[in-house]
Amino acid sequence: MKINRRDFLKWSVAAVAALKLEMDMDKLNTVMAAESDPPVIWLLGSGCSGCSISTLNVTNPTTIEDVLQNKISMKYDSTLMAASGESAMQALENAVNQYNGQFILVIEGAIPGGSSKNYCIIGEQNGVPLTMYDAVLKYGPKAKYVVAAGTCASFGGVAAAAPNSTGCVSVKSLLSGKTANPVVNLAGCPVNATVMVQTLLDLILTGVPSLDSYSRPRKYFSTDVHSVCPRRETEEVSQPGIYGCYEEIGCKGPDNQSPCPSLKWNNKQGWCIQSNYPCIGCTSPAFPLNPVISVSSDD
Amino acid sequence: MSTIKLDPVTRLEGHLKVEVTLDANNAVASATVAGMLFRDFENMLLNRPPRDAAFLTQRICGVCPVPQAVASSKAVEKIKGFKPNLQGLLLRNLIQGANFLDSGITHFYHLSLLDYIQGPQMSPWTGGYTQDLRFNAADTQTLTDHYISALQIRRKANEMAAIFSGKLPHAANIIPGGVTALPSSTEITNFRNYLNEIQSFISNTYQSDVNMLASAYSDYYNVGTGYGNLITFGVFDTNTSGGLLFPAGTVIGGTVGAFNEANIKEYNKYSYYSSPSGQAPASGTTTASYGKSGAYTWLKSPRYNNTPFEAGPLARVWVSGDYRRGVSVMDRHMARYVEMSKLVSNMQTWLNQLTAGASGFTNIGAPVSGSASGLTEAPRGAIGHWVSVSSSKISRYQIITPTCWNASPMDDAGNPGPVEKALIGTPVANPAQPVELLRIVHSFDPCTGCSVHVMSPEGVEMSKFVVQPLGK
Repeated sequence: MKINRRDFLKWSVAAVAALKLEMDMDKLNTVMAAESDPPVIWLLGSGCSGCSISTLNVTNPTTIEDVLQNKISMKYDSTLMAASGESAMQALENAVNQYNGQFILVIEGAIPGGSSKNYCIIGEQNGVPLTMYDAVLKYGPKAKYVVAAGTCASFGGVAAAAPNSTGCVSVKSLLSGKTANPVVNLAGCPVNATVMVQTLLDLILTGVPSLDSYSRPRKYFSTDVHSVCPRRETEEVSQPGIYGCYEEIGCKGPDNQSPCPSLKWNNKQGWCIQSNYPCIGCTSPAFPLNPVISVSSDD
Repeated sequence: MSTIKLDPVTRLEGHLKVEVTLDANNAVASATVAGMLFRDFENMLLNRPPRDAAFLTQRICGVCPVPQAVASSKAVEKIKGFKPNLQGLLLRNLIQGANFLDSGITHFYHLSLLDYIQGPQMSPWTGGYTQDLRFNAADTQTLTDHYISALQIRRKANEMAAIFSGKLPHAANIIPGGVTALPSSTEITNFRNYLNEIQSFISNTYQSDVNMLASAYSDYYNVGTGYGNLITFGVFDTNTSGGLLFPAGTVIGGTVGAFNEANIKEYNKYSYYSSPSGQAPASGTTTASYGKSGAYTWLKSPRYNNTPFEAGPLARVWVSGDYRRGVSVMDRHMARYVEMSKLVSNMQTWLNQLTAGASGFTNIGAPVSGSASGLTEAPRGAIGHWVSVSSSKISRYQIITPTCWNASPMDDAGNPGPVEKALIGTPVANPAQPVELLRIVHSFDPCTGCSVHVMSPEGVEMSKFVVQPLGK
């Protein structure tokens, strides 16, 4: 099934309008003419596939069946792709060569490094095991954009939690100075589906979004959860499971920038604080703290 | 002898490699299945508050995080001598059940089906094997359409769970003491609307599709049979006195027997670990040693009474008596359907038993010391957490996950793991397109993100060995 260019254009315009972004028709047309189906390569390192599953759950700006059939061309994604073994690895290599300098590389999970490179092998090329570490170094510089999906890829996250015996590193630290554009960190455990898919769209239509000091898009990561929390003015409670504000029991909302209060999760069916548990700070570079949440002293 | 190597095996969670040798008649003579990711999860849990494990262990697997949180919470509750109230158990059942429905639908349509049909001819659905595709164009189109509609249904199962769990993947509020959601009557109605839609898909579309597959590929009732030994830890509390919808048990030669966790040991002669082999999970240790002579995987070999056992939906419905036709590729698919059909109707019952506005959570605090196991089931099979606590911190943590049972390597006695055994003897019609191997492997629904955490820390010395030089 070929992408219907007119549909894509229509959808893109609507999405841009929804974002209140300035529309650059010339740029859009160039994008469309150059690559009617923007190629995406998705690699999984030391992670749990939760960011893949979260992305499958997307409803805003559109659903995954629409994304895959009409919006992007997913050239490599080990969770979904039909090809296996050698033909899968061939598909990866072919896509990188055919779209050298044009594809979007999405990295899910952290990357075991140093002497631990062999802790994650993503497949074999020509009989030689390809480590995630070497794959990211090989393909990152050939990508137009590199997206770190989730907190593990962005900052190490759970994969690199102390004592980090597997030597996991973030995408940005591994690819520092080696990419065409800055690595975009989409923090979250897992990544929020809207943040993931909308950012792919933004990259295709308008390029790298404005990033904060942690390389996260400002439009999603500039507001503390607490400052817009619907429970901000409610009574502070001393345990989870009771309706109220959890600041007293260590809620990370005051220190954690994330779009959860507005975007919520799973088609807006819930989010952590709505389920009567404190924010655990999963979009923070420090996640997961030990303890994950704790009462800060004397405040 | 020729060799076939599949690396990576795609359409599963994580990193899995399969290598087989073929005899002169192109039947599989030997097989190795290897997990290619090592994460050393348990070490990270050391010296943390016990409650943190319910959050962190969910990050083992984004496909079935809920059973990890439940197993972890159950272990900590057992140390405290606590059992959640009925409301808490019902909420767990509904969230875990939603995770099962999501996982089961994803498994059939998105992970398995492309071994039997060609999907839409665009990335990421091109490049699959074309060997032995038996459906005509009309049926292929029907199944392809259902692949797409199943994407919506699996998403809705996640949304349904999030009504009570805050979000999925990675539930926000399943912790020792229960579940912190306070379900309102609006939320209960919302959950029911989702459940009705999913139930309708299962009893109409999914039932018809799995039967169509079983009919076109009925020879697959004789493929991938393996040992036929089944094991389940039991799952879904039906009351506060230990009743389970799917009871714990074992099956040998078709006969149901008791399950006793004391009979579990883990072996690692063929795994990249230099620690002692043959230990019980509660006292197991793990020292990573990539490149160890003779080893080929990061998975250990859990064995029950020193025998390989298969875990998964077939084990659960066999022990419960809901399905006992046989053990094979197609039986695994049928069993998954039978289980989901039973589960979804029981979820209706549990939902009706919920009390709007009532709490399913008791603030039990951290245990000071003690050890216990938390056993439950993930969609793909038996899962156990073995937890020790001292000075209110985790002092030992050991996990055995479903894929450890199924995709384990040979044990020290030389018995292949269940997936390996299921591959051995299979004729491969076209070694250039070994689709039979994929169909067998996928029928077990392997999940290597969750299979690679079988390592157990032995106190604080753990940090010394984990950074040893690797390879040759």
